Amino acid sequence: MSVALAFVVGGLFGLGTFLLLRRDLVRVVWGVAVVSQAANVYLISMGGVAPGTHDSVPVLAGHGEPVPETTDPLVQALVLTAIVISFGTTAFALALTYRAYEENETMDVQEWQ
Amino acid sequence: MAPELALVATAVALPFVASGATPLVYRLVGARTGYFGAAVAIACFALAGSQLGRRGAVGVPWVPSMDVSLRFYVDGWAVLFALLASAIGALVFVYSASYMADEHTLARYYATLLAFMGSILGVAFAADLLAVFLFWELTSLCSFVLIGHHTDEADSRYAARMAMIVTVGGGLFLLVGIAFLSIAATEALGARSFDLAAMLANADAMESSLRELGLFVPTLAVVAVAAGAKSAQVPLHFWLPNAMAAPTPVSAFLHSATMVKVGVYFVGRLRPLLGGDEWMVLFATVGLATMTAGAALAVVATDIKELLAYSTASHLGLMVAGFGFQSVYGAEAGAFHLFNHALFKAALFLVAGIVAHEVGTRRLAGLSGLWRDLPVTAAVAGVTGLSMAGIPPFSGFYSKELLFEAAYEAAHAAGGLAWLYPAVAVFASVLTVLYSLRLLAIFVGERPGAVASVHRPSAALVAPPAVLGVATAVVSVAPQLAVDAVVEAAIGATAAESPDVHVGLPTHLTPPVAMSAVTIVAGAAAYPVLGRLQRAIGAVVGATPIARPNWWYDRLLSGTEAAGPRVARTVHNGLLRTYVVWVLAAASALALAGYAATTGLVPAVEGVRVTPGITLVLLVAVVAAVAVVSAPSHVVGVLALSILGFMVAIFYILASAPDLALTQLVVETLVLLIFLLVLEQLPAFYADTDRLVAARDAVLSVVVGATAFLTVMLASPDIGAEPTAIARFYATEAVPAGGGTNVVNVILVDFRGFDTLGELFVVSIAAMSVVVLIAMRNRGETR
Repeated sequence: MSVALAFVVGGLFGLGTFLLLRRDLVRVVWGVAVVSQAANVYLISMGGVAPGTHDSVPVLAGHGEPVPETTDPLVQALVLTAIVISFGTTAFALALTYRAYEENETMDVQEWQ
Repeated sequence: MAPELALVATAVALPFVASGATPLVYRLVGARTGYFGAAVAIACFALAGSQLGRRGAVGVPWVPSMDVSLRFYVDGWAVLFALLASAIGALVFVYSASYMADEHTLARYYATLLAFMGSILGVAFAADLLAVFLFWELTSLCSFVLIGHHTDEADSRYAARMAMIVTVGGGLFLLVGIAFLSIAATEALGARSFDLAAMLANADAMESSLRELGLFVPTLAVVAVAAGAKSAQVPLHFWLPNAMAAPTPVSAFLHSATMVKVGVYFVGRLRPLLGGDEWMVLFATVGLATMTAGAALAVVATDIKELLAYSTASHLGLMVAGFGFQSVYGAEAGAFHLFNHALFKAALFLVAGIVAHEVGTRRLAGLSGLWRDLPVTAAVAGVTGLSMAGIPPFSGFYSKELLFEAAYEAAHAAGGLAWLYPAVAVFASVLTVLYSLRLLAIFVGERPGAVASVHRPSAALVAPPAVLGVATAVVSVAPQLAVDAVVEAAIGATAAESPDVHVGLPTHLTPPVAMSAVTIVAGAAAYPVLGRLQRAIGAVVGATPIARPNWWYDRLLSGTEAAGPRVARTVHNGLLRTYVVWVLAAASALALAGYAATTGLVPAVEGVRVTPGITLVLLVAVVAAVAVVSAPSHVVGVLALSILGFMVAIFYILASAPDLALTQLVVETLVLLIFLLVLEQLPAFYADTDRLVAARDAVLSVVVGATAFLTVMLASPDIGAEPTAIARFYATEAVPAGGGTNVVNVILVDFRGFDTLGELFVVSIAAMSVVVLIAMRNRGETR
């Protein structure tokens, strides 16, 4: 697989990890978001990233037509699910952040009791 | 003749079924549930007895493809053990019915006792090593419940936990031994197998296979630890005296015919398989050491049950030593003494229960002259106590004589240090005579004034020990009867050759006879100086706490208990980042180690085949991520995060995934809005000031990033590779099976519809949680 793609996935994972380790809770949430983007790109790369053509999109031309060689539709279905789920978790994490700030009156995770 | 599968299986299953029915029975008949248990035990006795004289393995296949089947192995040894367990079980149930009548939680007591008896029968008949292990551990579990019957007493809980830890720990060693045997069976029997019967049938092939693999001594060692833990061999003997915290009927059952004999039984079972010089050195030494230590501690015991418990350890040592010796006398000593000991020790424990019940104390010091008030009990104690001492013509004498013979033979053959075997055996037997006399002393002489009054025990209490006493007397008068009936077949199963066993009173002087004479004379002569002897042994035991395994057990346990919270405080320190660091570092290290061990860490680099468009988009995404990390304020960071998200959306378009791109665009927009809404309520930015921490985090981030990089390089498919079969399936079946042309959508709503349903639940739960967290804060549930 392409070095460029691997570099991007690795870079996003690394930057996401760095964010996860911050003391500022908002940055921790960003870290979760960045890591899930990286995971999605990684999953897509597992299905193989070929230069796009008319046939490679997994939307068939019509009923009864011959089926061309598309990119892996299962991986795309997985990622679609993952995008929606990560949206749910990000929203939840943000609500939790807000509530945690209300309760603890600080955004610094190290200062929490 | 081949055994009858239905009968054997019923004998093993019946107690478990009855155990399940016990609560109902208890509701109907109350404390008389003991007689129900006795009926079950008698049924098992009859079923096991019907297999007497048969030999062979029977079973029904269970999972034939994995060579797993429900197998039973029947021979003289198994039948002897099963008969003893069920016969003494029946007597214990009858005895319990009156002894335990005033207790609470009787349903639990009887249910466990029945399950316990079933487990013992299971160990006796199981022909599959995994089944042996299962039943073996079941006996440990049941004994835990039984020993800890008085749940409100600290002693009882301590003893139950100790028995559990020691015997279950021993069981884990057995599991290792089973694994070794199964590995050896791969070569010897042609297939990996847990079939004990087949292993015993090919004992020589198994032994040479074990020796070739270098597993012979390890197998021997782990089996010895397992059997030693179960059968209370030095240095794992310490749980047995503590286990006397159990109700007396349980002690009688545990110490005579069941729990502690399981180890001896298994040693006898594997004797034809693992017998050899190492075997003799190990088991004869451990057995004789236990015999001596147990007898010495019994001499200084102050409580009747304590004396009997140490005596049990000592006699178990005798059996293990017997099986240790390679001559046929050894097998005779082990099997015959197992039989004799079961009879006299069960009787003595039941006698101890009667004394405790009717006199109110179990202390040896203040008791004497009980024969006046308890004549039948005293007579039973006399017969069985003299049998325990090994005085002719009582039954224990014959089996001890066989041990002397085996020890003498072994010493005669090996010479040198081996002469210690008969010497130690004689010494331990002298101590045995001593403590037996001491026990019997509570029945003779005058009754001291201190003992207020002695009640008459009820017939139901006296009958079970009386039956055992009569049985011991019969074996004493006509030992050949018992040998011919059950013991000879058992010896045949544990010895390599077929024995021709004759026991009886000696008619002329042989070295073993002389050893017996020395034992009895020295024991009787030492009795007057018992007090001085006790002080001497007590001084030795008291001066060296470090040599007592109980001390080590307590230390180990309290050390573990203290270390637990300390480790928890260190590892579980409440800081989120600590957990993140450990999880990520461990995951990366494991993944990298996996790559290093399999494909190597250097991936094959192919040329850049991604289009310039994709490369550009993704590079912008990375730059956006860098901007997120170095953002000077929350708002800047969120905007950079959005750029990252939109770039990934464009990447989806370029990677032929339009549905993903659409979803991503919608989601990113929503996330941006939510972020901005929340950020409005939050305070401004906290800076991380500590450069050292930042540097450490950066190192971890680089490691994680490198792991991800390598994973993509190593795991993603080659360019131009054929689509996988599953991808092809979905693409071709989308229209015929799902009726849609958009393959991704068909997968989501049709092929994997339930996954999508689950996803909907996740999103709805997240939505509800958000509402609860934000809107319902002031509904009264907060502090």
